[in-house]
Amino acid sequence: MKKGIFLLTVLSIVFTSCNNDDDTPPASNPDPLQSEQIINFYAPQTGGQGQPVGGAFTKFDFTTGTQTTSDTDWDIAFRGTTIAINGGEATGTLDEPIRNGEAAATIVSGTFASVTSADGLTFAQDGDTAFAIPTGSDNGWYNYNFMTNIVSPIPGKVLVVKTRNGKYAKIEILSYYQNQDTAQDGRYYTFNYAYNPNAGDSSF
Amino acid sequence: MHKSLIISILFFIPFLKIEAQDVYKEVLEPTNLEEVVLTATRTMRQLSSLPLPVTLVSKKQILESGTIRLNEILNEQTGIITIADESGFEGIQIQGIASDYILILIDGVPLVGRSAGNFDLSRLTTGNIKQIEIVKGPSSSLYGSEALGGVINIITEKPKTEDLKGNVSYRIGSFTQQDINLELKQRLNKFRYNVFANRFSSAGYDLDSNTDGQTVNPFENYTLNGRLYYDFNDKLSLVTSTRYYNQLQDAGFIFNNEQFEGDSKENELNVHGRLDQKWNKKLSTSYELYYTNYKANELLKNANSGIILSDSDFNQKLLRPEIRSNYTFKNSGTITVGIGLQYDALDRTFFDKQVDFNSQYIYVQYDVNPTEKLNIIAGGRFDNHSEYSNQFSPKLAVRYKITEHLATKASIGYGFKAPDFRQLYFDFTNSAVGYTVLGYNVAIEKLAELQAQGQIIDVLIPENELREPLQAESSIGYNIGFTYKKDKWKTELNVFRNDFKNLIDTRIIARKTNGQNVFSYRNFDKIYTTGLEINVNYKASKKLNLSSGYQLLYAFDKAKKRLIDDGNVFARDPETNETVVVTKSQYFGLVNRSRHNANFKVFYDIEKIKANINLRLLYRSKYAQFDTNGNGLIDIYDTSFIDGYATANVSVSKTLYNSFNLIVGANNVLNYKDENIPTLPGIQGYIKLNYQF
Repeated sequence: MKKGIFLLTVLSIVFTSCNNDDDTPPASNPDPLQSEQIINFYAPQTGGQGQPVGGAFTKFDFTTGTQTTSDTDWDIAFRGTTIAINGGEATGTLDEPIRNGEAAATIVSGTFASVTSADGLTFAQDGDTAFAIPTGSDNGWYNYNFMTNIVSPIPGKVLVVKTRNGKYAKIEILSYYQNQDTAQDGRYYTFNYAYNPNAGDSSF
Repeated sequence: MHKSLIISILFFIPFLKIEAQDVYKEVLEPTNLEEVVLTATRTMRQLSSLPLPVTLVSKKQILESGTIRLNEILNEQTGIITIADESGFEGIQIQGIASDYILILIDGVPLVGRSAGNFDLSRLTTGNIKQIEIVKGPSSSLYGSEALGGVINIITEKPKTEDLKGNVSYRIGSFTQQDINLELKQRLNKFRYNVFANRFSSAGYDLDSNTDGQTVNPFENYTLNGRLYYDFNDKLSLVTSTRYYNQLQDAGFIFNNEQFEGDSKENELNVHGRLDQKWNKKLSTSYELYYTNYKANELLKNANSGIILSDSDFNQKLLRPEIRSNYTFKNSGTITVGIGLQYDALDRTFFDKQVDFNSQYIYVQYDVNPTEKLNIIAGGRFDNHSEYSNQFSPKLAVRYKITEHLATKASIGYGFKAPDFRQLYFDFTNSAVGYTVLGYNVAIEKLAELQAQGQIIDVLIPENELREPLQAESSIGYNIGFTYKKDKWKTELNVFRNDFKNLIDTRIIARKTNGQNVFSYRNFDKIYTTGLEINVNYKASKKLNLSSGYQLLYAFDKAKKRLIDDGNVFARDPETNETVVVTKSQYFGLVNRSRHNANFKVFYDIEKIKANINLRLLYRSKYAQFDTNGNGLIDIYDTSFIDGYATANVSVSKTLYNSFNLIVGANNVLNYKDENIPTLPGIQGYIKLNYQF
């Protein structure tokens, strides 16, 4: 019995001290992290097969978490296997959208869950020589198998994006095919993302 | 490592001379009854006395097994596998080492003509072979480039009798597979000849009825071989051989409901002349001249529109004069010295023009028995090449007879493979996808051309890095083993390890405006293969012989292993689509490698009725064909695994009226099929009649 009381006392001290930590009031009430999965995000292109690639990019806005046709309110855009961001300038391929935001991006190796912060990362913007997210097989986010003609997202490649207005998001592309079935049509992205809507907060 | 190997061998040679005293003559003068091999030392050596791992396949074994092409019989040997790689072409694998690194010889001279590095052994008929010798582990100390994983040498026979001898055979089997052989041989005093002709054809087969077209298209091929021998006297003899091979295969296929038609042709010519001179009991010299030309052409066009889809040509030539001598010291071993030149040329589609290589080489080998129980072979070869840095390839092998029945052997050797023509001169743009592959020698120039045409967005590798020399791929191989031979038992154990470095692979050097990449070649991968091989033979009685073999294999990429150690390799779990970290135990190793390979063979002789039964069971455990989840290696989440499988081949042979031989057999009697293994059709029955005179 005495032992029980003693234990209880110790535990309550521990709990009290925990509570004390929690009592420290946060700077503000943060908006919750938005974690979603986007399915069959269609990103067509024209050309290819040795011809110049063209066609409009399909744009995505993290603030609304949806596809958009807005010329200004977009963060990231897809065309075939190419990914553009709303920051920097056009790389010189046909039909690129005008960049009018301050978006930037980088690729981090790890599981989606293991990427918990954008701190300390070096971000790049699209520029006249290259996209911030490199194109080509084994170069950026995907691998093209010449034998099976299948584009596979490289596992463990997490795209970390600074949005057009300075917030942070992370993306993991899961599939390039409709209904995540490589036997179906390509250029249909399925991806997970987590978006932190709090300005200046780089944690996920 | 390479340097220390050289040093240790150089150290060994003088040491040997001092120790060498009472030479045990037996090994140098093999008796007729013993199995003798030429490949391991370039001298006649008893198989059982060699300090190296060697497999010998005799004519008797080939005939009894009913096999007709070289790939079939080799595939039944322990630790030797025939398999198609990512390119779709079939090649051979020894000790887990791919076909690119295995040298194929006929009577000691090399065969050329590979498809994406693979040598197609079904090109070679077994109809006129005396025996096949396979030396495992590096043999560049004698044979130079390509002899990293092993050397396969096809040996032909010199006619012996004055009577006209020969045989005619016809075989027909499933898929309208037909094989016809004709061989004539005779000795006419000093002159001898051997004439051989083979025709082999098949209607092909289809493993997947869901896809249009056949898995293997119909083909027919012809092999002609004429050999002439002339003995000027006891001391001087000449042998010449001319071999011609021709294959025509239908290359048509259906893709997206469009029919394409065309033919694929192969032509090969080998001309080989050798003059053997015995100066005296101690010294002999061989003067050898060899020329070979391999051509492959394929033309494909759309059956409706007539538009040419592809037209590819491949024309490779090799010319090689060589002189070698053997000198046997009184009581202190045999020294072998050879010098030679090699001229290589290749003209093919995707090359600007014909390209040539020149090389000169010298090799020295010292084979000695310092005591009755000990045999030592030390040797090295120096290759000077016009296109890449010089190579020195040393080798040291030791055999020690522990008891009358038990011996141990160990060897260490260096092997290399010169960068091939494709790796140096390729200029290829895939018209469907748009990527470009450039050979090392032409990369800078061609990249500048692409830049001038405005096709390049970004060059990723600076020019000074592109100029870094391309090294020959190389390996160091270690083999340690035991042989035990007593009464009815014969057992061999060999533990091997091969460390490869400077493997050549592609990397991206620039990005194109069409979103694709420009690739070029460079050295990077370091891999190893290690494992063990056991062979047990038990002659239960005069009638019954049982044998079994097993190979355990681990084959990994060292760089990939390091990435896994650092937690930098990920995979997607196909069930949950969640990304997970790949752990060491989940790394399966290199593609196309099975951890376990085993065989079991039964031979039963029924003397009363002059018949015999021959059963071979082959097993290989699961292996992966290619990476499916984009992380560049094979892990347990990949979906291209072929589960372990067994095949069985059986044949029954009966002699009729002394000179006729009837063989009825079936390959793959368990009828194992997998549409992912295009080279393995279902059960194949056959019947063969051979008339020998």
